[in-house]
Amino acid sequence: MVEVKLENIVKTFGETVALKGINLDIKHGELFTLLGPSGCGKSTTLRIIAGLDYPDSGRIYFGDNEVTYLPSHQRGAVLVFQNYALWPHMSVFDNIAYGLKIRKVPKEEIKKKVEWALELVRLKGFEDRYPTQLSGGQQQRVAIARALVVEPKVLLLDEPLSNLDAKLRLEMRSEIRRIQRELGITVIYVTHDQEEAMAISDRIAVMNVGTVEQVGTPKEIYENPRTEFVASFMGKTNVIPAKVVEREGDRVTVEFEHFRLDGLTYTGEKDEVVLVIRPERIQLKPGENTVAIEGTVDLVEYYGFFVEVIGLFGETRIIARTISDREVGNLKPTQPVTFYIDRRNIIVLPKQQL
Amino acid sequence: MGASKWSERIFGTPLPDPVVIGSFLFPLLYLIAFLIIPVLVMLGNAFLYNGKPSLFWFKSIFQSGYYFNPLHPQGSFVTTIEWGGKTVYYFSGLDFGVVVNSIIVSISVMILTTILGVSFAFVMARYDFPGKNIVRILLFVPLLVTPFVNVVVVKKMFLPDGLINWIFYQHLHLFPHPVWIDGLVGVVIAQSITYYPIVYLNAYASFINIDPTLEEQAENLGSKGFHLFRTVTFPLALPGITAGAILVGIFSLEDLAAPIVFQGSAIAKKLMSYQIYSSFVSGFAIGNPQMAALSLVMLTIALIMFLLVRWYVGMRQYAMLSKGGRWKPRVAKPKGWQAAVIYLVVIPTLLLTIFPQIGVVLLAFSERWYGTWPEGFTLANMKALLTQPDIAQVIRNSLMYSTVAIVIILLLSLTASYAAGRFKKAKLSPILDSLATIPIAVPGIVIAMSYFFFFSTVPPFKGTILDPTNLLAFFPGAALILAYSIRRLPFAARSISAGIQQVHVSLEESAMNLGAGRWKALTSVLIPLILLNLLGGAMLSFVYCMSETSVGITLGSINSTWYPITAKMRELIIGSVGSANLAAALGVFLMLVQIVAIVLANVITKQRYSFIGLT
Repeated sequence: MVEVKLENIVKTFGETVALKGINLDIKHGELFTLLGPSGCGKSTTLRIIAGLDYPDSGRIYFGDNEVTYLPSHQRGAVLVFQNYALWPHMSVFDNIAYGLKIRKVPKEEIKKKVEWALELVRLKGFEDRYPTQLSGGQQQRVAIARALVVEPKVLLLDEPLSNLDAKLRLEMRSEIRRIQRELGITVIYVTHDQEEAMAISDRIAVMNVGTVEQVGTPKEIYENPRTEFVASFMGKTNVIPAKVVEREGDRVTVEFEHFRLDGLTYTGEKDEVVLVIRPERIQLKPGENTVAIEGTVDLVEYYGFFVEVIGLFGETRIIARTISDREVGNLKPTQPVTFYIDRRNIIVLPKQQL
Repeated sequence: MGASKWSERIFGTPLPDPVVIGSFLFPLLYLIAFLIIPVLVMLGNAFLYNGKPSLFWFKSIFQSGYYFNPLHPQGSFVTTIEWGGKTVYYFSGLDFGVVVNSIIVSISVMILTTILGVSFAFVMARYDFPGKNIVRILLFVPLLVTPFVNVVVVKKMFLPDGLINWIFYQHLHLFPHPVWIDGLVGVVIAQSITYYPIVYLNAYASFINIDPTLEEQAENLGSKGFHLFRTVTFPLALPGITAGAILVGIFSLEDLAAPIVFQGSAIAKKLMSYQIYSSFVSGFAIGNPQMAALSLVMLTIALIMFLLVRWYVGMRQYAMLSKGGRWKPRVAKPKGWQAAVIYLVVIPTLLLTIFPQIGVVLLAFSERWYGTWPEGFTLANMKALLTQPDIAQVIRNSLMYSTVAIVIILLLSLTASYAAGRFKKAKLSPILDSLATIPIAVPGIVIAMSYFFFFSTVPPFKGTILDPTNLLAFFPGAALILAYSIRRLPFAARSISAGIQQVHVSLEESAMNLGAGRWKALTSVLIPLILLNLLGGAMLSFVYCMSETSVGITLGSINSTWYPITAKMRELIIGSVGSANLAAALGVFLMLVQIVAIVLANVITKQRYSFIGLT
């Protein structure tokens, strides 16, 4: 168990810059997630922490020790690979015992520890099976047991749920959370699935093309995205291009289509902005401090426990989500509709080159 | 601790690791020492005249009608002669000079083997007919390598009273007169029959690997029959077929067995391989720089063929474009006329091409063979394998040389495949990769010639057991083991790199990540997982070491105590009457070794026995 610190990590593969100066501070005992689309550099970051790749520049610290160029086998940051990387020629027992044998742990103790690990992942009695005789979920558990049994300083999980079916994914997700809590171990978790990241993490770093866009708790990141990318990556949301037309300190008035919205908060310099509005924050009735925009109904989509109304405002489509059927009433396409939005729920962010 | 940029650039890992560096340097230095430098030393001799750099030796080749006469060919392709009171068509070929002859023979063999190999492959890949399984087994027979003696049988088949005339002249009356195939035409026929299985295997694999939906789509759009074959099937299989054909072209260029067996006809000697070989045998011409120059001409032609096909095949990897695992191959029942072609042309042709191997067995178990068929059943030749001291000695020698060579080959191909396969970004990787495959394109006789110049002139080796001019001390076994290990390396290297590619790198990474050093990850994870490929590669190379000819009958035939099998076979073939039967017994022994290896490879390792391609 250890704090992990990344300082200005740069990594290039040939001509492409995979990581453009990554800084991260991962606290001891926390489940920290690197979240981003494929190709954003999250797996590369993980491999660099594991010592399987080395950065071109920058430093990595485990606690007070610099480990930037320490070979993987001396580092104690154990990675659970996306494809599990179980050795097909070894039994479950031998797979799990491998790291202990290398550490020259006495035979009796190896047996005890492997038993403990198998119990932890709820696979007791599977010692003599071979990886090919296990289901995907069981292989995953063996891979986790193999990593945990050597008591790693930090456990690294690379898209651990991506090869599992939907039901198993939910099960393993809580399983990983349970094990992490039980052992109080530092875990760095990589995924491209924002929902998974929100559900499991203490903190999340959202990555995009080799940079960290934002670090924070799931709540902070969802409610308070600091960039257009983070806002659009964290679930379904409205991102509306707009222009700042008036400023008074932090207060601005913006314009999109023919609408003028005043009294919004914005501290950026650029006048080209986007308005980020979560669909569930849009109401069909007026409220306190709301702005109103008038348009027509484009589509009503019924999802069961909620309904989405897609309104057309000039050329712009905006989604509103409501859990009450009654509010929607008998709205039909082409009918006029008014969306009401609390000013505090409109996040104004500088426009980003995505 | 600390990373190094140069280590990352050269070896592909920023932390200089002794296992990685060793895996790069051992095969690299070995190949440089025993392939590149010897060829360069020979090159030096070829470009030196009276102690000065000069093109003299090359001019002496290209200005002499003996070597280079592309415009005024001598002799006639076919003549009628009287033979035993009958008129006979005698085929011997035109003489364009040694260099041009070699090229023409090579091209002719490429064309003939392509026709044979592609036809057989297409029938086997696309038709389902009664007896197909027997044909499948029969197609393994021509793969069995029997140096010299199969050519002896081919020569007998095409004599005026041989099997061909017995069938087509005597019984079917298809020939107006008997034919007699000799000289360069004989060489072409013998080489074509020997090497067509290489094209067959490549073409078969290519046809099998074509995504059937590509052909189905073409049919769906209205193409069928020969149009479909010409516009879709053949172009998709062409890279594989070309690779096989070029390999055959190189093998033809360097082949010595056919010209030696046909040397009774003077024109058969007018080939580059034979000329270089005869300079060894005649002894006094040894070390002749003109032969070094001729070797370089041969090497250049072979390398150009090799590089062209690598470039061409590299450009056309589209055959493998389609995704998806195993598909159901497109096989159909042949229609009436197709069945007729299969049963009346394809299978009879196949039977004729496996006759050399059958003939070798017949020859080994018979007392004499003058006319169409051998006569006088005997076990004496086979018994001699065990009882005749000089024969048993050469078998022991070959087994010893091949075994030692295999150990070296496995070390070389394991390190080279690991380094080049796992550290692809290293600057050394493509160099190592090319160096490990290039021995395919280096004719054996060229290696023999360069070793001669290298070991007899370069200081650390001059005067040692490797120096062939140091007659008292020279131990041919050492030179042979080096030559085997270089020549047969690509066969094992290919099998092992295929294995390494199948093992996902994360399996080693997770071992290292859990605390294993590189060496431990290699021995506990990678090697156990590729054990079958190691075995397969070892057996394949062993078989080819045992039957290696070019170096065996040159450097290997300097001291009869240390003959390998092939040197003894050559001696028996050109020797007194009846000893061809003993050579055939050695051929049978070699076939048995190969059958055992193939069966082992199939049963134990469950690998498909296959020839090497060029990709």
